[in-house]
Amino acid sequence: MPLITTVVLFAIMPFASVFAQENPKLSDPEVASVAVVANQIDISYGEIAKGKSKNEDILKFAETMINDHKAVIAQAAALAKKLGVTPKDNAVSQKLLADAEKTKKMLRSKSGKAFDRAYIDNEVAYHKAVIAVVEGLLIPETDNGELKSLLQNVVPALKTHLEHAVMVQNKIS
Amino acid sequence: MSKKITTLKAVIFLLCSVFLLNSCDTETEKTIPKVHTVEIKQMKFQPAELIVQKGDTVVWINNDIVAHDVTEEPGKAWTSSVMPVGESWSLVVTQSADYYCNIHVVMKGKLIVQ
Repeated sequence: MPLITTVVLFAIMPFASVFAQENPKLSDPEVASVAVVANQIDISYGEIAKGKSKNEDILKFAETMINDHKAVIAQAAALAKKLGVTPKDNAVSQKLLADAEKTKKMLRSKSGKAFDRAYIDNEVAYHKAVIAVVEGLLIPETDNGELKSLLQNVVPALKTHLEHAVMVQNKIS
Repeated sequence: MSKKITTLKAVIFLLCSVFLLNSCDTETEKTIPKVHTVEIKQMKFQPAELIVQKGDTVVWINNDIVAHDVTEEPGKAWTSSVMPVGESWSLVVTQSADYYCNIHVVMKGKLIVQ
């Protein structure tokens, strides 16, 4: 197993079950699918937060996640259309969705401050994991220069989200 | 003789006028406000710290992949409101200020009036 993959696996423990089987080889349509699904998942977490939380910081963070990840999906969709690429469902994106369902079930079972803590803890862990996946797996696996460039441009946004999430986490804990 | 004096007066008047006009130009150059640009890219204000003169204009351009805003902190004395991707907003600077993106609160910038 290449060193880079080993490093990524340690960094993405929440995603470990997805990547632990093998070093997944992804085509560009599959990379596009994973990228879109990862964004959709965080939008769905944000929508749950908007429905359940009354904390101003949580609500503001959730709104930002929804808007930013929608913007990224829109750009990914526009690029896929331009390149004539149709995002292709794959084992990684399916596993991400399956794991997200469990997380959403956990979030929906909580309320009040317990929900706020669970949501923001998950956002911190999720963004750490996604950054590791994008930097360590998706960017290296991508052949198309424009798709690779889009993924590289998304990384600063993910890191800013993580910094914001940690700030909120510290504030509410 | 009278004609010579008149001509001399005219020459002196012209020289004084040129001198005064030059003085005015120099004074004007000193006070012409400048326009500065801050690019918002990769979740940063670039440059994050900008030195300006009072009365200069700062233009922020959102060249990032998501919407941003530019908001004075801590009092929100001024704000651009939401700037979608590709849009810009300008401010005539009258005093030094710290600012941030109220959407991504960890993004910060500073205007320093000299």
